[in-house]
Amino acid sequence: MANATHGTGYRLYWITWIFLLAITMVMLAMEYVSWPQWILLAVLVVAMLVKASLISGYFMHLRFEKPALILIVAASLLLVGALLFGLLAIDALRVHQLSTG
Amino acid sequence: MSHAVTAHPVLDTAMVEQSPVGVSWQKLMMWIFIVSDGLLFAALLTGYAFVRIASPSWPDRAEVFHLAMIGFMTFLLISSSATMASAVAAAGRADRGATVRFLLFTIVGGLGFLGMQAYEWSSLIHEGARLNSNPWGVPAFGAVFFTITGFHGSHVLSGVVLLAITAWRMAAGKSTAAGIELAGLYWHFVDLVWVFIFTLFYLI
Repeated sequence: MANATHGTGYRLYWITWIFLLAITMVMLAMEYVSWPQWILLAVLVVAMLVKASLISGYFMHLRFEKPALILIVAASLLLVGALLFGLLAIDALRVHQLSTG
Repeated sequence: MSHAVTAHPVLDTAMVEQSPVGVSWQKLMMWIFIVSDGLLFAALLTGYAFVRIASPSWPDRAEVFHLAMIGFMTFLLISSSATMASAVAAAGRADRGATVRFLLFTIVGGLGFLGMQAYEWSSLIHEGARLNSNPWGVPAFGAVFFTITGFHGSHVLSGVVLLAITAWRMAAGKSTAAGIELAGLYWHFVDLVWVFIFTLFYLI
């Protein structure tokens, strides 16, 4: 059974909680230092995806489910999100250039 | 029945029909609902991305919002997710008292978040923010803020109602561990959406 490697009771959740809080504090701290825009963007997006993975993987137990369920959830949301954003962002940049150019 | 103490709640799998992906049909349907609701927020956030990228400028969030309070709201929601996961674990151990206690902590976290979000709304409305105008120079900003946080806040509210009913049923001995787990999945989803809103709207 996949359960065997979970560890005992509440400990997993509180360790995950500590990591989530630490990442959140790093994200907030980024706001108070002036970084190049692309560094801020990259760090925040990566941190956001790590937090999302921790919540879905450990709190929602997705990490311990069968690969088929993980695919249904993660692939559909990530792929559709990326598709939506990719297509719209290209058009948004065009509109931005029209309004500022 | 397994007596091993694990992080995954012990479900009575002999009584529950398993779907082809290894979980009960109830759990699979909750996941499919979560995917569909997640796509709603993906659409809202992508709409925000379009408006923001296309706009010549965007208000400085540090000037508009109380970022420390938003940070504390994030802390509340993350902590409530941890207490919710603990409630699910306690339910799996058939520890009714601990389950109800953790559920109540989760509800308190949710209510705290809602109260602070309501304060944020009233603060911005008091400064003149509306759906079609605001004092910060980008008319769409208000619409984006109220729509996205409004949809999320309504999900938190319905989650609090769901958890209150679940806690009452658990205290009355009418709920199963599987039922707590399903409610937990919804609550974690609400926290998950906030992770994206917090980053993409308040920080970036």
